[in-house]
Formats: sequence, C-alpha cells, structure tokens
Amino acid sequence: MMLFIRDLKLSIGVLCGLALCADGAQAPQRININQLSTTVEDVVVPLPNEIFGALNKLGAVNWRAHVRTDKGPNFTERPRIALLLGTVIADGFIAVQAEDAETVKEIGQRVLSLAKGVGVGNSITPHAKAIIEAADKRNWNNVRRELDRTQNSVQQAMNEVHDEKLSQLVSLGGWLRGTEVLTSVVNDHFSSDGAELLHQPDLLSYFQKRLQAMPEFDLPIIHQILDALVEVKPLIDVGDRRIPPETVKKINEITTRLGQGIVTKD
Amino acid sequence: MKFFLRASFLLLVTIALLPAVFGSVDDAQSFALQAAEPYVKQGFQVREDYWGGDLGSGEKKAVRQQLFKGNEYWFWLGTEVDRAKISVHVYDSDGKLAEEPDSWEKGHFAAAHVIPKATGSYFIIVSVEQSPEERTHWALVYGFR
Repeated sequence: MMLFIRDLKLSIGVLCGLALCADGAQAPQRININQLSTTVEDVVVPLPNEIFGALNKLGAVNWRAHVRTDKGPNFTERPRIALLLGTVIADGFIAVQAEDAETVKEIGQRVLSLAKGVGVGNSITPHAKAIIEAADKRNWNNVRRELDRTQNSVQQAMNEVHDEKLSQLVSLGGWLRGTEVLTSVVNDHFSSDGAELLHQPDLLSYFQKRLQAMPEFDLPIIHQILDALVEVKPLIDVGDRRIPPETVKKINEITTRLGQGIVTKD
Repeated sequence: MKFFLRASFLLLVTIALLPAVFGSVDDAQSFALQAAEPYVKQGFQVREDYWGGDLGSGEKKAVRQQLFKGNEYWFWLGTEVDRAKISVHVYDSDGKLAEEPDSWEKGHFAAAHVIPKATGSYFIIVSVEQSPEERTHWALVYGFR
C-alpha cells in the first residue's frame, strides 16, 4: 500500500512536471549576449515613476520636498520646449507621489500649453482633461496612467511629423529630472541599494548618441547636457562595484545644475 | 447564375483572408495588452510604450531594457497569427536567464516574469518559434509594480 502511494505520488509529480513543461517557458539558462549585437532594439527610456517606485520600497520618501510648482518661462525654441515638457511630465509623477492634487492639476495645464508650443496640443487635450479629473478624485493610479499616455501621445505625434529628435528630448528631460530627484533622495539618506538605482550606463550611452546626432540644435543647454553625460558616464558605469555617496552627491550637483538650465532662459 | 456564384465565392474567400493580409503590429499589440489585463488588477502599471515588428519562423529579436532592483516586471508578448508559437525570455547583461519559473507561453501569448537581482541592462529575447505565416507580427509590452 505504501509502495502504491509512493508510486502514485511519483506519477503525480511527473505529470505535474510535464504539464508545467508543456505550458512553461523552455529557455537556455545562458546565452552569448555578444551574438545579439546586430539585432538589439533601442533601449526604452524608463518612466520617472519606475525609479520612484523602486526608491519608495527602500524607505519613506518626503516627496513633498521635491514638488516643484514654478511654472517656468515660455520658450520659443522647440528643442527647449521639448526638454521642458519632459521635465514637467516628470514633475507630474513627483506630484503624484506626494499626492498633491493642486500641483498635478497645474501640471496638466502646463503640459497642454507646452505641447501646443511644439504643435502637438491636439493629441494632448483629452489626456490633460483626464489628468485634472483624476487628480480631483485623488485617483493616483489613473493620474500615473494618464501622465504615461500624455508622454506617449506627445512622442507619437512628434514622430508622425518626423520630429523624432524632439521626441527624444522629451525623454531626456524626464530622465534628467528623475535622476535629479533620485540623487537628491539618496544623497539625503544614503543607501547602497538607492545608489545602485543610478546604474544605467546603457541609457546614458543612448542619450549621448542621440544628442550627438542633433547638430542642428546648436543651443547652450544641449551642449551642457552632452558635456554632463560625458562627466557622469564613468561615475555610474562601475560594473559590479558599489556607487559611493560622493558619486551620488556629484551627480546630484550636475543634474541640479542642468535642471536649472532647462527651466531658465539663457 | 454561375458567374454570380463564382463572384460570391471569391468575395467570401477574400473576406476570410482579410485578417491575414491586413493583420498588423497594432493587432499583435492588442493581444499583448490582453495578456497583461489580469496583471493590472494585481497592481502592475502597464507602459504605453511598446516594441513591435515582424519575424519569420525561427527568428529572434533582442530588446535592451533598463530594470531597477526593487521593482517587479512582467513582459507580455502577443501575436494575431493563429497557430503561431511565440516566446519571450529575459537575460541579464552577462547572458544568464533572469526570469522567474512562472513565466509562460500559450496560443497568441507569451509572458516573462522578472524580479531583478540588480539594477542594470537586461535583454528581452522575443522569438517566433513556429508559424503558418511567412512573417509573423509581434508586439511586446511591459508592466511593473
């Protein structure tokens, strides 16, 4: 009887294993990454709230201290508007983290006016409305989703009229603002896990390549960002080594300076 | 009458073939989003951005993605092609398989679950393993929480 039960258990185990194999993923445990080089697609730039979400899990963050309400100037140069637009969308994610409904609503309006400034206002109007409605209801998940949709719609509309470079500047503006806040939070309460979130060398290379392909945008802020990326790259491309507190401080100084440059007229 | 029957038959065949002829990455994206739907209820935020294209049987595509330790990710792959077998797997920057054992593939869908052990670049490998079509549309979306 015991033997029968043992055999039965074994059979059930084998059957379960086979069932798992049938629907499960059969993949090699290791591949040669170098052989993929010709087929690798461009990196997708993470949203600021992907980083903020990971930061939140490391401990309580005083998001209100990072909320920015200053509307900033009105630029006429389209690359400057695009950079600012990315920054303002990132500010929206920060305001959501802080659950600051009034700032979120102001940001919804600001995003709309900036999008109009680069000729893609029509694609943003429904999202701006949805952001304001969701903020009124304190439905933060919907605000996050609409901010993502806003950025996506702006970039799609830009790509449709072959303004891909402006679209990349929107991503860059958001990434810079996200990195500024990340380094500020980690600088205030240092942890190795927090500093590790800066380990983004491929993203930096991606932005460097994109900026180098924009010689027509001959603006001081673009040159400053390009120089800063060259400075930051070796600080975060550390392989398995840990990123020390002084590096976090240094990157925070650089990104804060760039952030000021993005929201200030020359 | 014969002509009318033939014309009707041709029309029916054309209508039947329309989805195959006009299938698109957008259709594949709909399937990928369908696979993601149950996970949204579990708190995953699905990105609006997505990758897509078409591949022949046996072809692979790699997508480089920055992942953050502390977050949890699902990647959902979809295709509109019936009887196609697709797969998605995630590797770290050393080429080591980085996905959880509950990753799955079934019909029009495949999904990979990742809880990154380190912050950095990861490679998402999408593959059309078998397909009745010469080229098979695919779309990949991802979500995090």
